[in-house]
Amino acid sequence: MYVIEHALLNLGKNKGRNSLLAIIILAIITTTVVALAIYNTAQTVMEETRRALQCAVRVAPQRSSPGTGVAVTAGGGQQEAAVTLEQYLAFASSQHLDGADVKEGGRNADEVDAVYFLKRPELLAVFEAELRDKGLPDNYSVKTDESTFASVAGPVESLQKLSLTFLLIVLVLGAVIMVLLSFIVIRERKYEIGVLRAMGMKKEKIALGLWTETIIITCLCFVLGMGAGSILSQPVSDAILAGQAETSAPGSSSLADRLNEAQGVVPPTTKIDIAIDPVTALEIFAVSILLASIAGIIAVSRITKSEPIKILMERN
Amino acid sequence: MAMLALQNVSYRYEGSTKTIFNDVNLQFEAGKIYTIVGKSGAGKSTLLYLLSGLDVATGGRIEYEGENLAAINRNHFRAQKAGIIFQSLNLLTNATALDNIILSMNISGVTGVDKKVRALELLQKVGISPEKASRKVLKLSGGEQQRVGIARALAHDPVLILADEPTGNLDKENEARVLKIFATLAHDEGKCVIIVTHAKKVTAVADEIWSLEKGVFRQLPVGK
Repeated sequence: MYVIEHALLNLGKNKGRNSLLAIIILAIITTTVVALAIYNTAQTVMEETRRALQCAVRVAPQRSSPGTGVAVTAGGGQQEAAVTLEQYLAFASSQHLDGADVKEGGRNADEVDAVYFLKRPELLAVFEAELRDKGLPDNYSVKTDESTFASVAGPVESLQKLSLTFLLIVLVLGAVIMVLLSFIVIRERKYEIGVLRAMGMKKEKIALGLWTETIIITCLCFVLGMGAGSILSQPVSDAILAGQAETSAPGSSSLADRLNEAQGVVPPTTKIDIAIDPVTALEIFAVSILLASIAGIIAVSRITKSEPIKILMERN
Repeated sequence: MAMLALQNVSYRYEGSTKTIFNDVNLQFEAGKIYTIVGKSGAGKSTLLYLLSGLDVATGGRIEYEGENLAAINRNHFRAQKAGIIFQSLNLLTNATALDNIILSMNISGVTGVDKKVRALELLQKVGISPEKASRKVLKLSGGEQQRVGIARALAHDPVLILADEPTGNLDKENEARVLKIFATLAHDEGKCVIIVTHAKKVTAVADEIWSLEKGVFRQLPVGK
């Protein structure tokens, strides 16, 4: 208990050194919060988008684009129309569905645009089998639209990769900075460590005291860093996504993108709402404590190898 | 039985061929004050480091109550049994006088007393007022710092007091006060007090005086 009391006293006594330490830890935690919050939110958005799009199944006749070899779907069609509107509507009664959107008149007046919403993405195969049983011809496809997913979630995926890279850089650099900083702080406190050991204090207790000081500073920085990170992560995410949207502008889009646009597919995501959920907060807290502990342990283990008499004689 | 016994103790610094002492046999008993005198660099402070377990003899053995000091937990020995007064004080300069003493009691695991009250009593005993007790050590004079160092060494009520030039920075009044404390500790409370000193006044309170010259200990007559 006295080790913790002593650590608390020390925090107040060395304001300059501890403030410097706190600023650096705060910077590391804040950047970690921004990176991890964006990464986790992007991940959630990707999963939700994928899930939403994988649940939406389009039933349409298949055609091959002459010359390109690319199979494209069209919402129904008069030439291949083997499925009637009544059949499309009958397909909607499947127990695997949450709903359906079957309407006449897509781009052409006589087309049927049929989208069925599965309860779960995994039910696709069962649903397709059911439709085949109900008379859906083989030249009709039953599938989700991957190109739409790529178009909608592409920028978010790039944002996620960017934030992960940034996070890894911050963590590696942060760990190196923390270790170096701990070495400097511990070297500065070598004499104090020598005195405490000369008085009979155990190495473990000295290490615990130093670790406690670092952890208290880290916890304070965690609270501040969470606040600063929450404020900063939204504008950072917006700026990156805006950049992503510009790079995927219509002029540079692929054939599939242009076809999707022509079909009125959902436009690319240009904004996601960054949220720091409890899991993210816990991850950041764990990372912070881990970094502080690793740095502290490496530095303390080195200094406690010196005999107290040597430390005191060097000083004196 | 002697509290501390040196048996054929030799010592030389790491990486050096020069021997500081060779084959020393000495005994220190409870209830007595011992002074070790000798020229600077003779190895007096080194002897105190060996007796406190801060350093280990390169030859022979030092026994504390029959146990080899090199083989026991020397951190525990210093925290529980020995009170060390360093020539260079070795106080935590950023902490207050009071905090230094309370920390010493905490390290030693002192329980059952109000540590602040005991620390203030000890400081009062060495002539440090409660007002100065709350000052950072750096803001005290050299003499005051030395007395804080003495109070710290006594904080955990050790049976063995090892003092390196404990009166070096003190005026006559405070020197007399400190020597009286040492006399009480040894003669009334049965502790063993070993003092390394240059001051003749200190040798005047000793029960045994030993000189160290060229690695050889020689007992001097008391009162001369």
